[in-house]
Amino acid sequence: MALMKVEGLRKVYADGTVGLEGIDFTVEAGEFIAVIGPSGAGKSTLLRCLNRMVEPTEGSIAFQGDETIGAKGRKLRRIRREMSMIFQGFNLVERVSVLTNVLHGRLGYMSSWKGALGLFAKSDIAEARRLLARVGLQEQTHKRADELSGGQQQRVGIARALAQQPKLILADEPIASLDPAASETVMSSLHRFCSEDGIACLCNLHQVDMAKKYASRIIGIHKGRKVFDGTPEELTDEMIHLIYNKAPQESVRPNDEPADTARKETA
Amino acid sequence: MSEQQLQRIRKWKRNQLLLFLILLAGLSIWSAFGTGFSLPALWGGFGDGAQFVFVDLMPPDFSGLADLIGPALDTIYMSFAAMFVGSLIAGALSIFAAATTSPHPALQIGLRAFSAMFRNIPVIIWTILLVASFGLGNLVGTLSLLIVSIGMLVRCFAESLEEIDMGQVEALRAAGASYWQVIGQAVLPQFLPSFIGWSLYNLEINVRASTIVGMVGGGGLGFAIQSGIKLFQYKDVSMAVILVLVIVLATEFLTNRIRGRII
Repeated sequence: MALMKVEGLRKVYADGTVGLEGIDFTVEAGEFIAVIGPSGAGKSTLLRCLNRMVEPTEGSIAFQGDETIGAKGRKLRRIRREMSMIFQGFNLVERVSVLTNVLHGRLGYMSSWKGALGLFAKSDIAEARRLLARVGLQEQTHKRADELSGGQQQRVGIARALAQQPKLILADEPIASLDPAASETVMSSLHRFCSEDGIACLCNLHQVDMAKKYASRIIGIHKGRKVFDGTPEELTDEMIHLIYNKAPQESVRPNDEPADTARKETA
Repeated sequence: MSEQQLQRIRKWKRNQLLLFLILLAGLSIWSAFGTGFSLPALWGGFGDGAQFVFVDLMPPDFSGLADLIGPALDTIYMSFAAMFVGSLIAGALSIFAAATTSPHPALQIGLRAFSAMFRNIPVIIWTILLVASFGLGNLVGTLSLLIVSIGMLVRCFAESLEEIDMGQVEALRAAGASYWQVIGQAVLPQFLPSFIGWSLYNLEINVRASTIVGMVGGGGLGFAIQSGIKLFQYKDVSMAVILVLVIVLATEFLTNRIRGRII
């Protein structure tokens, strides 16, 4: 059974903008999939539909055999906790310690009130420390998150994602706000941890070279449609051109395209 | 968006600004006529004012200081108690009154209206109403200050809550956090500095307002001032006014120091 099976996924925003226009794909356990496509193609929307941070309009998403669309409350929390997310802007809670940020990955497994008060279990704290050592930030454990550099913050983001003990990591442009050196570190550690722990990863990227270097499979999105799905070897220069430009008459109307990051919606 | 649409928007914005300026000028002229405002009249009042300040009020009677210490402390207690209790209550309410954290829009609107009523009825009216039911004294002063504090703080807190970074909230929700977990772990850390900042500012306002509250029966220094005026004991009044000034300035100094430390 596939880890995740997405069928006919559509997203139309309240203002009528079409984010996704019928997407189908499956994710097998442990796959590292890069999702590429021009800005506004719907990459962010796609990832956020998968964990229901954005409410899909139509379609079906089966995660470990469970339908996620329509899931509410406890069931939704249970789906989300096994599907970590990594963000372009890191999204760490800046005013608290690095350690606490990693522990936030455990919230989905805790009772509501214990989590709200930050009463983390000893075993969770030990695990969080171990994860920080794993991403090479042992010395920063007790610093405030906003004291760290961008690359370090994203590694905390990865540690937080791993703390969820996920089956799947959704990485939304994890290196778009980082310099080349930090990008390399973040991508290589993300890739390494995923393969070591057997975690599947869907990673939005706009650097084609990075996608080719790390991914075992690449999905190309253009204007809310899947236009490519194959191995890095199959991604030829013509294919890249097609994904990013498609037919010339369709491509040059930038104002009609939805914003790159998915609009905030209360799901 | 087409060039035409852009131009239309630009034109509309320009007209809006023009309309605003005309309205502002109109209102100023209208109110100047309405109040019979004139600079010479302002000047004429100076003489009587100076007479009152320098002859009747001066010099302050320092021998009355001992009797004023009690009311001065009352003023400080009332202001502090209203701020402390008020900020806790308002802190809890504001979570439901902010668009970013409210579980339901109806709750948000209801709480906003409720707090608007609390803060828009002047503190002096609250005191008069409460004196009628509880009699004179510090309790009434504290209660009226508390009501207005809650009204003000709910609004300030809710607005701070609406400015928090939603990315941090999104991250925790995506990790499977529940509503209260998001509030406790992503919202509160961001909210804490403004919570403290606004509460301290509220303390300053309470200290100032407590004088007015006292004058209509709420206890503290205001009550002493009012009694002094009625008995024509202006030298005592000026002593009390100086004390008010000292307390206000001391509070401002202290809260600034604390703010500087925390934020």
